Amino acid sequence: MSEVVVEGVTKKYGKNVVLDNISLKIDAKEYFVLLGPSGSGKTTLLRLVAGLEEITSGAIYIGGKKVNDLLPKERNVAMVFQNYALYPHMNVFENIALPLRVRGMTKADTARKVKEVAETLHIQALLEKKPKQISGGEQQRVALARALVRDPTVFLLDEPLSNLDAKLRVEARAFLKRLQKDVGITTIFVTHDQAEATTMATRIAVLNKGKIAQVDDPYMLYARPNDVFTAGFVGSPSMNLVHGVAQRLGDQWEFRNDDISVGLGRVHFDKDTKVTLGVRPEQLTVSRVGSGLAGSVSNVELLGSISYVTVAVGKTSLTIQLTGRPDLEIGDEARVGIRPEGVLLFDDDSGRRVGSQEN
Amino acid sequence: MHQGQTLKVGLVLASPIIVYFAAFFLYPLLNLLQNAFTSTSGSFTLANFQSMLSDPILSVSLSNTAYYFVGSVALEYSVGFVVAVILYAYTGRLKSVFRTIIFLPLMVSPVVIGLMWLLILNTNYGPLDYILSPFGLGTVNWLGSQSLAMPSLILANTWEYSPFVFLIIYAGLQTVPPHLYEAASVDGLSRFETFRYITLPSIRPSIVVAFLLNAIGVLKGFDLIYVLTNGGPGFSTYILSFYTYVVGFSFFETHYAAAIALLFLAIIGTFVFAMLRFTSVEEYLGLRRGKGE
Amino acid sequence: MKGRNLLLIAILAVISLVYLFPIYWTVVTSLKTSTEVFTRPPVFFPSQITLSNFFVSVDVFRAVSQTAVGSIPWMIDSTIIAVLATLISTFLIAAPAAYALVRFIRNVWLARLILFMTMIPEAVFVVPFFIIDAKLGLLNTWWGLILVYISFSAPFSTWLLMGFFNDVPKSVEEAAQIDGLSPYQIFYRVSLRLVTPGIIAAVILSFISCWNELLYALVITFSPFPSGSQTVPLFLTSFIIVEKSFNWGGLAAAGIFTMLPTMIMGIFAQRYLARGLTLGSVKG
Repeated sequence: MSEVVVEGVTKKYGKNVVLDNISLKIDAKEYFVLLGPSGSGKTTLLRLVAGLEEITSGAIYIGGKKVNDLLPKERNVAMVFQNYALYPHMNVFENIALPLRVRGMTKADTARKVKEVAETLHIQALLEKKPKQISGGEQQRVALARALVRDPTVFLLDEPLSNLDAKLRVEARAFLKRLQKDVGITTIFVTHDQAEATTMATRIAVLNKGKIAQVDDPYMLYARPNDVFTAGFVGSPSMNLVHGVAQRLGDQWEFRNDDISVGLGRVHFDKDTKVTLGVRPEQLTVSRVGSGLAGSVSNVELLGSISYVTVAVGKTSLTIQLTGRPDLEIGDEARVGIRPEGVLLFDDDSGRRVGSQEN
Repeated sequence: MHQGQTLKVGLVLASPIIVYFAAFFLYPLLNLLQNAFTSTSGSFTLANFQSMLSDPILSVSLSNTAYYFVGSVALEYSVGFVVAVILYAYTGRLKSVFRTIIFLPLMVSPVVIGLMWLLILNTNYGPLDYILSPFGLGTVNWLGSQSLAMPSLILANTWEYSPFVFLIIYAGLQTVPPHLYEAASVDGLSRFETFRYITLPSIRPSIVVAFLLNAIGVLKGFDLIYVLTNGGPGFSTYILSFYTYVVGFSFFETHYAAAIALLFLAIIGTFVFAMLRFTSVEEYLGLRRGKGE
Repeated sequence: MKGRNLLLIAILAVISLVYLFPIYWTVVTSLKTSTEVFTRPPVFFPSQITLSNFFVSVDVFRAVSQTAVGSIPWMIDSTIIAVLATLISTFLIAAPAAYALVRFIRNVWLARLILFMTMIPEAVFVVPFFIIDAKLGLLNTWWGLILVYISFSAPFSTWLLMGFFNDVPKSVEEAAQIDGLSPYQIFYRVSLRLVTPGIIAAVILSFISCWNELLYALVITFSPFPSGSQTVPLFLTSFIIVEKSFNWGGLAAAGIFTMLPTMIMGIFAQRYLARGLTLGSVKG
């Protein structure tokens, strides 16, 4: 009753295609995240679901009903904007009450509902204040209250955490996640921050330049990215991506570029293929001696319990994750080892993941 | 917003102004056009425009207008500009006091300004003669002599209008980011060089807008002339705006008046056209390039 | 630095004197006795002050009236006309039009047209406006002038408010959309409330320009309240024409008295004037 279905939706501004044939199914009560860099179309998609913009072609269904031609207020959606968009000339109570008053609710009922929601979000003390008198975190909760007070079918959030400072942001993430679970409302959340996405979402849709790259739960996006864009975008620090060619070597295949060669085990190809090899920092090892790829240390970053060491193997750069303090310094000779189970290959032409036998 | 709904709402909101526009802009314009191109019998004619070529009062009005225009704009623009720069250079607690004083002429109605200058420019008892007497002038018939009437008008108009130029230039000066001056002083520019190479280019838009608005304001002016000289002595202070009124309401020549009104409109139109090239209406409407997500 | 500032203060003081002088002279003249008014050399600092000039009775076109008190019928006309013209022009015509232009009909040529309309001289349309008022039987009435005054008040206020409406964040209006308000409700309950400084500037400037207007009043009205709707500038011009040669004290007093309302408004409005009068953002 509150699933959202996006079917073949395209959005153009003149000749500029911002969203290209997007199809998604969002289940009721899901915490669904639209993730992507700026310009990927994620906010546009959210606004199409809200009804703030018109769809060029395709359809959107909320709770089974086609909503293409419905105004925002007829869709029973609620939205929290990046800058919260509170009404500056009204106090907090009036801000939250407005959606109810507009629907003709009596003053008494309105007051009751507003107080209820205010308690859920711990903002009862702020009801008399004006938006400019309260902090950013408090403003955000007022925006949430205003959205929730109407018992909407779908809850839309447009990068609501990006205006908060780092510590508040972490608290807000947990708060939002708990809130969504308690209220049990279908939620679509837009962000460019992949850490935010992976910590909060039940499922994530990764968007790139108006197209969907992959839709999956956070773990699968991390471990089994379908294409090179998703592989590089999800995970911090990002996956090491190296260009090269997959070539036959005897009856095995290997990955090779000017600097390195890596055996590919049981993987097969039809022919020599240009590929990108991806491997996450935690799937690499580095030490002074050994049988791995030879290179020299170009950077060392200490992050407390973990460190990242970047080694230049010829022109190829690899970042390796270690626990504790490394005993390597910039300029040292080092050897990099690759765990074969962590290797992913992506076809350079299509960007898609290729060449594995088990997924 | 859905497209169809958008336009409809816009039209509903704009309906009062559209109705007003039709009644009090389009209809008068059509009325003028009709009158200008017809004779009193109602037939089509270009005679009204031909009469303009042989009308001695019109040619006097036009040359007077040019005189008034050049004199007024030159004087009040320079004064307004200089005063703006001086106040801008001054840093002190009296700044807003001076600014209020300079604004005063803007708050006085033009008719009262005329009244004031009438008192000042009086031949026998006005203070202006007296103040200038060290220059050996004696009593001067400011408003009564054909050669001095226009300069007197220009003087009064300068007092009236220079604060307006001041306002625009001063506002423009305020928008110059202070860090430009800091960078200039670090780079070792003298005050004069800073003014010439940093300040002036930064306020170029204000310079142009102030000039054009000043020009248009001077051309529109009517009240001062009506009160101070009523066009005289003789026709020495007839300017186009005044003459347009005279033809309509002293001579009662509706058709000829319409032709002159259109001429006046055309002249103003060229200045407005210039003004439009320097004003970015797009930004004002919030139309910007590039819609993204 | 200090020395330079002192020099600037001196220059500014001289400039201030020049700008203050006409006002000073008029105020002083209004307070002088007639012996001190008509003297050579002119008296800059009167030895005697009198308020009689404000109350001397005067024959203005054979309708006996007195200065100060006498101008009251004209003041009534001016007030009613300026208030009604301003209210109608700002709230009924300019505000919705400005909002429509900025949010819905975002047409560059229409915006330019509005700008053009603010610059049309009064003399251009004075004959057609007279004809319209005559045909509607509105000569010498309040509405005759009110309707005509909207012709300069509305375009200017519209232009002014366009800038202010443009500054209202779209996201607040979109939030209102999602909250269920219709576009008209959004205009009235949200956007209009957020442009209050612009409204104040528009109202004050419109009132002042209606109060001071001469040409249309000259042509359309011929007697004051209660029989007609002549405004204050006409009171002054008749006064000037009649009294130009002798009753200067009274003339000065009339000028000062009728100038007070707009001058007080102007001083109060200074803060809002600067933003509004720099017509629009300008490309460099």
